[in-house]
Amino acid sequence: MRMNKLFRSIVLVLFLLFMLVPLIATFLFSISTRWDRTILPEGFTLEWWKKVISRGAFGLTLKNSFYISFATSIALTILVTPTAYWVHIRAPKSKVIFEIMSAFSFGIPGVILALALIRFYSGIPVPLINTTNILLLACMELCFPFMYRPVANALDSIDIHTLTEASQSLGGNWISTFIHVILPNIFPGIASGFLLVFSTVFAEFTLTNLLVGARFKTFPIYLVEFTRFDGRQASALAIISFVVAWVVSLLLLLISGKRTITSDNLTIGH
Amino acid sequence: MKSTIQVSKLSNRKKKGVNWIALFPLLIFSIGFQVIPIISLISSSFSTKQGISLENYQHAFTPHIMEAFQNSIQLSLVTAVLGVSLGFIVGYAIISTDNKLVKDALIALADVTTNFGGAPLAFAFIVTLGSTGVITLVLKSIGVFLYPNFRIYSISGLAIAYLYFQIPLMIMLILPALQGLKKEWWEAAINMGANSQQFWMRIGIPILGPSLMSSFFILFANSFGAYATAWTLTGPDVNIITVQIASLIRGEVQLEIGLADALAVVSLFIILFCVGGYLFLSSKAKRFRA
Repeated sequence: MRMNKLFRSIVLVLFLLFMLVPLIATFLFSISTRWDRTILPEGFTLEWWKKVISRGAFGLTLKNSFYISFATSIALTILVTPTAYWVHIRAPKSKVIFEIMSAFSFGIPGVILALALIRFYSGIPVPLINTTNILLLACMELCFPFMYRPVANALDSIDIHTLTEASQSLGGNWISTFIHVILPNIFPGIASGFLLVFSTVFAEFTLTNLLVGARFKTFPIYLVEFTRFDGRQASALAIISFVVAWVVSLLLLLISGKRTITSDNLTIGH
Repeated sequence: MKSTIQVSKLSNRKKKGVNWIALFPLLIFSIGFQVIPIISLISSSFSTKQGISLENYQHAFTPHIMEAFQNSIQLSLVTAVLGVSLGFIVGYAIISTDNKLVKDALIALADVTTNFGGAPLAFAFIVTLGSTGVITLVLKSIGVFLYPNFRIYSISGLAIAYLYFQIPLMIMLILPALQGLKKEWWEAAINMGANSQQFWMRIGIPILGPSLMSSFFILFANSFGAYATAWTLTGPDVNIITVQIASLIRGEVQLEIGLADALAVVSLFIILFCVGGYLFLSSKAKRFRA
């Protein structure tokens, strides 16, 4: 099964160039004085970074993005983790319902989810449309499988029945068993789910754009606005987005050791 | 002893209801924000003032919308086929690399870049291949003029940007399957006189078949549902279906409201078909991994 060495090197070098050139170019563009006539930048400067960071909207959008990402991750952790445990220990027949839910959440693209939510919730007297809450709920819906799958996998990989029985025979009730026995054992799964949800929501553009528009500006919305009128500052923002995605991915690698992409953790519809 | 068993059986039966009640918060959430909105979307796509009809669908499929569907399907086919084949070749090159450090670094790169999509990615491609992009300038200096024949802000430009997340995604999907190809099978085939082409045609590809097909489905769906990258890169200029639906939502186009529903339902059907194909085939593909 050997691949010709020369062919392999060519393949890998081309792959690396394709993956890295856009990133390096964006970074250099953000620190160059002028770069639209010559092959190499004409000079380097930190002016664009200083400019973009000093804007009030920079801090605000970054704060908004961190807020919505943390809120979604925390809310999903609270909603999903105890339920997943209960599903595994007391209602295993309901597993299939949650599998189907995962598949749907994972399949429905942001554009269609946004349309469905707007059409339904604008027709009933529930004050959700155009609020940050509808965005939070939509993000939770979109990210449900990223939280559920790693937690369910973690529960499958430990002997929850023996652990639960042991805890209960020592006098623990459901809540104390869950908090003191189950949670520590599935912590890596929860942490993976949390980080996946966080990075997905941090990069979320479609739902934010269509559900709340300009009322709640997140970092990706701010970035897209900038691409229309100032390329240098937009490139600085793009680099920040890449760094956040990169840091979260590294944390995930650290937690899960080796990560294989399955329907658990892949985001579709960028 | 006997009595305790009976008691616990009885209480088990009583608790059955309790078992399901504990699932209610999550089920209610899902029904409220997934099931009901999607069902109401489907039902409203079939309803008009006169009652249930296919009118929305008939009105929705104007030549412009037909073109949007055609563009979306073409874009998804091209990026899925290229993504599957290029990702497979690169994945194989990664697997057969001897240096463990290089191998791990490449896998980590593919892993991270799978999540690089949307606005920042689109912008990175404007910087790279835009009219004054880095690669455009380099090519110009050696006498190759990309513009005006090629534009990154076009559908072919979009295909290049999509490949940036399609290829790493394919690598991550195919790596476990490639790792499942056992050296012994290769050695056995070679010992019996097969050449490398025969190995791939008779053993390698048939075993990887379900994985390759399931990856194709997910890559297709991935590209079909994509919106943020397209919107950042090309704005409303490129006519693909997600951009059309989004502009209907924002009310940029004056049209009857049922039309957006009809377009969304058709798109949803295409995507769910792909996701179903992916789930079905990927469960088949797992047979070969022990």
